[in-house]
Amino acid sequence: MRLETRKLLDRSFTGSGILAIALMAAALIVLLAPMFIRGAGAIFFTATIEHRRFMLERFNRGNRPQLEAEIKAARKARAPVYRMLADFERCLATGDAAERRRYEKPFRELKKKIQILLGPIPGAPRPMLMRNQYGQTRWDRAQVKLSRVLYREEWDYSDPTRSGIMHLKPRTADFAGTSLEALFPYLKNNIDRMLLPRRTVYWQFLTDTSFDAHFFGGIWPEILGTFYLTIGAMLFALPLGIIAAIYLTEYARESRFIEILRTCISTLAGVPSIVFGLFGLAFFINTLKVSSSKSVLAGAMTLALMILPTVIRAAEEAIRAVPAAYKEAALSLGAGRWHAICSIILPAALPGILTGSVISMGRAAGETAPIIFTAAVSVGKPLALWQVFTQPTPALSWNIYNLATEHAAVDEIRHVQYGMVLVLVSLVLLLNLAAILMRARISKRLRG
Amino acid sequence: MKRFIAGTLAVAVMGGGIALAKDANKIVMDGSTTVGPIAKAFAEYYMDKHPDVNITISESGSGNGAKSLINGACDVGNMSRPMKKSEKDAAESVGVLPIEHIIAMDGIAVVVHESNPLQGLTTAQIRDVYTGKITNWKDLGGPDLPIVVISRDTNSGTYETFESLVMKKEKIAGKTEYVGSNGAIRQRVMSTPGAVGYVGLAFREGVKPIKVNGIEATPGTVATRIYPVARPLYMYTNGRPKKGTPLYDLINLSGTPEGKKIIEATGFVPVN
Amino acid sequence: MPTTLGTMQTATRIMPSLLLSHRTRLRQRVGAALGNGLLLAVTSLSMLAVFFIFFFIARDALPFFRLEGVREFFTSTHWYPSAGEAEFGALAMFVGSGLVTLGATLVAVPLGIAAAVCLSDMIPFSMRQVIKPIIEMLAAIPSVAYGFFALIVFAPLLQQQGGHLLAVATWILGLPLVVLGVIVFSDVATDRLRDRPRLVIRVILMALFGGGALAGLAWIGHTLGALKIASGTNALNVSIILGIMALPTVVSVSEDALQSVGRELREGSYALGATRAEMLVKTVLPAAAGGILAAVIMGVMRAIGETMVVWMASGNAARIPSPWYNMLDPVRTLTATIAGDMGEADHVTGSARYHVLFAMALALLVFSFVCNIISEKFIRRTRQQAKG
Repeated sequence: MRLETRKLLDRSFTGSGILAIALMAAALIVLLAPMFIRGAGAIFFTATIEHRRFMLERFNRGNRPQLEAEIKAARKARAPVYRMLADFERCLATGDAAERRRYEKPFRELKKKIQILLGPIPGAPRPMLMRNQYGQTRWDRAQVKLSRVLYREEWDYSDPTRSGIMHLKPRTADFAGTSLEALFPYLKNNIDRMLLPRRTVYWQFLTDTSFDAHFFGGIWPEILGTFYLTIGAMLFALPLGIIAAIYLTEYARESRFIEILRTCISTLAGVPSIVFGLFGLAFFINTLKVSSSKSVLAGAMTLALMILPTVIRAAEEAIRAVPAAYKEAALSLGAGRWHAICSIILPAALPGILTGSVISMGRAAGETAPIIFTAAVSVGKPLALWQVFTQPTPALSWNIYNLATEHAAVDEIRHVQYGMVLVLVSLVLLLNLAAILMRARISKRLRG
Repeated sequence: MKRFIAGTLAVAVMGGGIALAKDANKIVMDGSTTVGPIAKAFAEYYMDKHPDVNITISESGSGNGAKSLINGACDVGNMSRPMKKSEKDAAESVGVLPIEHIIAMDGIAVVVHESNPLQGLTTAQIRDVYTGKITNWKDLGGPDLPIVVISRDTNSGTYETFESLVMKKEKIAGKTEYVGSNGAIRQRVMSTPGAVGYVGLAFREGVKPIKVNGIEATPGTVATRIYPVARPLYMYTNGRPKKGTPLYDLINLSGTPEGKKIIEATGFVPVN
Repeated sequence: MPTTLGTMQTATRIMPSLLLSHRTRLRQRVGAALGNGLLLAVTSLSMLAVFFIFFFIARDALPFFRLEGVREFFTSTHWYPSAGEAEFGALAMFVGSGLVTLGATLVAVPLGIAAAVCLSDMIPFSMRQVIKPIIEMLAAIPSVAYGFFALIVFAPLLQQQGGHLLAVATWILGLPLVVLGVIVFSDVATDRLRDRPRLVIRVILMALFGGGALAGLAWIGHTLGALKIASGTNALNVSIILGIMALPTVVSVSEDALQSVGRELREGSYALGATRAEMLVKTVLPAAAGGILAAVIMGVMRAIGETMVVWMASGNAARIPSPWYNMLDPVRTLTATIAGDMGEADHVTGSARYHVLFAMALALLVFSFVCNIISEKFIRRTRQQAKG
């Protein structure tokens, strides 16, 4: 082959390597960007007066006199709408039957859509479900609901052999010639006076319980549940892992038995996570009966089993990285082997052990399959510390799956889904970042 | 070091001791995703009035609800189908007495994407779609689009009801996609133009329910039993709940006027 | 530095042990042995755990084989566990798992090895510190977040723009390959000719084959672009996401393997006049082949054991796609079946339905165990080669 071709091949080989890395970086950005952007929308968004009313009534948050003045102003802006609706209803009731037949269904639908947008009509009995007690709390959803009030989705199914085509028909056409015609332009032009949108920072999304199947409120029970499960897993795995690492590095002599032990540890690392979940159910709950139902305890034990190999490996590496001089100096001063380990080697290896355990914490926080059968529920109150032994808990990882698939109104709570994903991914990435920084500091210290 | 170990052991023993004391103020509900919205609404309503009770809800399927009740892992098994004889026998063999409470009526609505011009199908046609005999919408008079058939997992009561009332024990085609909940079917059908699925009444928003044998699926037709694929929704408990306990109040919420309003608000039909 | 006084003080503390009674010394030795034993016991807990896992899974899996036999499970595609006459053919699930793993490997292995080669040999140290965190971040993202992305973002994208995306990907990957291939081929084919006629023939060959290949590429791009993906939750979706999840494993283990190949090999290759690409492809990669194979196997283990992504986004259709390589069909994997069907019946209501899930778990466990052993062997061999 000529030299130019070989050089060309060389350049393209380098190019392919760089392309691979660029693709990985692009994949990372494509994965994280929607999560961060839309997840931030759960905390930073434009909220309406309904949101502030909810905060005031449920949590007593906000400047009461100012909010009440706002609510009054909003009510004043809405009054013409309700007046027009009431007038029309009276008209229908006293009018002739043909008119009633013509307008009854569109009117009922219109009333329903307005209630979804603005909340229950004043004077009507209080609805049972919280989601019907308030209008739209987010301005972006309010815009969507407003267009549903102003326009009707009509599907043109005239040709049954082709897919239907959607037309947006303005509702004014349904009420042409009646007193209700003026409602729609009024609504359109005054919606901001009726809902008073304002940019809000809802920090309490992270600390509030959820209300009415995550329609309102925050994700605190899930965050707390993930916290309990992760800490619990570490409490079980860390002592066991450190002791195992100490034994493997200091006490064990290379024998067949130790080789089998090491193979077992690496096998444990390769077991699929769903098998851990099955084992947790079959062993911890059904056989050992650590709790009568699902519980945080069983879930933490299952997760601990899953992260044990990583902790052992990290601890082993950390202990091996401690210079032999430390141990030899301790032994020469007459310290027993156990004493030397406890007071000299472990403290020196601690930063490395912590790094490995922080990465394992990230793994435990993000895993779902082990806790499906052992600890996770869809709805529950945030647990008190003494309840973790017997009660199950919602968790970020499980509830992301639950809200994304099982929820009855997935499009209404998109911001909550993305918010949960954002919190979980941020938590895991922060833990890993902390581990990376710790590792950089340790290597600097050990080098110089 | 020794003090640390002693301290941890002490805390653990205390915690275990407190935990061993029977947790009277928790109610664990497990089971159907159809009953899910009702259970969640009931739980929230009840916990609002009694903040010291913690009601947790899992939605893993009617079969799971029965199994958890038999294992003693839950207090209430939500099911969208009646308990099978095998489950009742298994319960008796471990000393569990399942008591049935019918809390609402539901109809299984067959839903398609909103752009699908189809108005209705007969149960025979639905059966053909699900057994794989009909694979394109044009064979039903619709557009030329392959049918994406979506069904529920085998641990679903909705699936069992659909199977017995519509499929008449014929087997569902291999190419069917399976999802785990009503919400998931609704979501898949909402986003896939060629899809067809079946959901409970509370999940009709955003998709197009079609008429079955000429009858629409609405609370009205289900209440009057005209709709052919109607079924009750159940909550099972181990033995009759004692009067005055939170469990008793929760189960009987479906008979109170507030409970009935909640059931209506979620989209189902209250029973009298 | 220990002072003489300090040493004497410590020495006086040790000295008495040399003067201890026989009983005390015995007690000390028993204490040490007990401590040793306790440590061994705790360490063996992990070994116990593995044995327990195997035991419990196998214990609940064997009743299925006793009830239903072995043949149907591995050879039939009829999966109707809840029907009156239940059928437990899991072949479709095995094929599904295999298909998505194959797809994930096709994505992860070329990308991973290329990235590992780049990281170990081409990129200066300072840039490595920037790129390694990217890979670690990809590894750290929880699987349910990947599944969420696959279901909520990627599946609708495939449904709406799937054909176009595939066409664009074909062009991005295909064009450089075609251009390169044509140039190299024309060069090699006209090797023996002299200068003047060589140029002419080269140009003719390049035009001919280049034109043909580009036309072929255009045709592929066009057919893919016109493709309408009926359902975005399919094997392609899951394969791509699983490939991205398995990438960090492949990259890091391959990189280790490449680093363990000594400098001598590289320098010798350069000395003989090789370009960097030739050095890598012809000497370093073959030398690190064992380690790279181990990396691939670990990537496979990661892909086959993944649950949440496949449960949410693979479509869960218990059927072998037709034809078997049709990635646009929904598939069902073993892990998703276990997660989805778990608990319909358990050993109280007794039935093959509960035990068949454990049978699947056993299959997964055995497969990952075997993969683990093989990859360990390869890694150990590469390490020995590097040392000796």
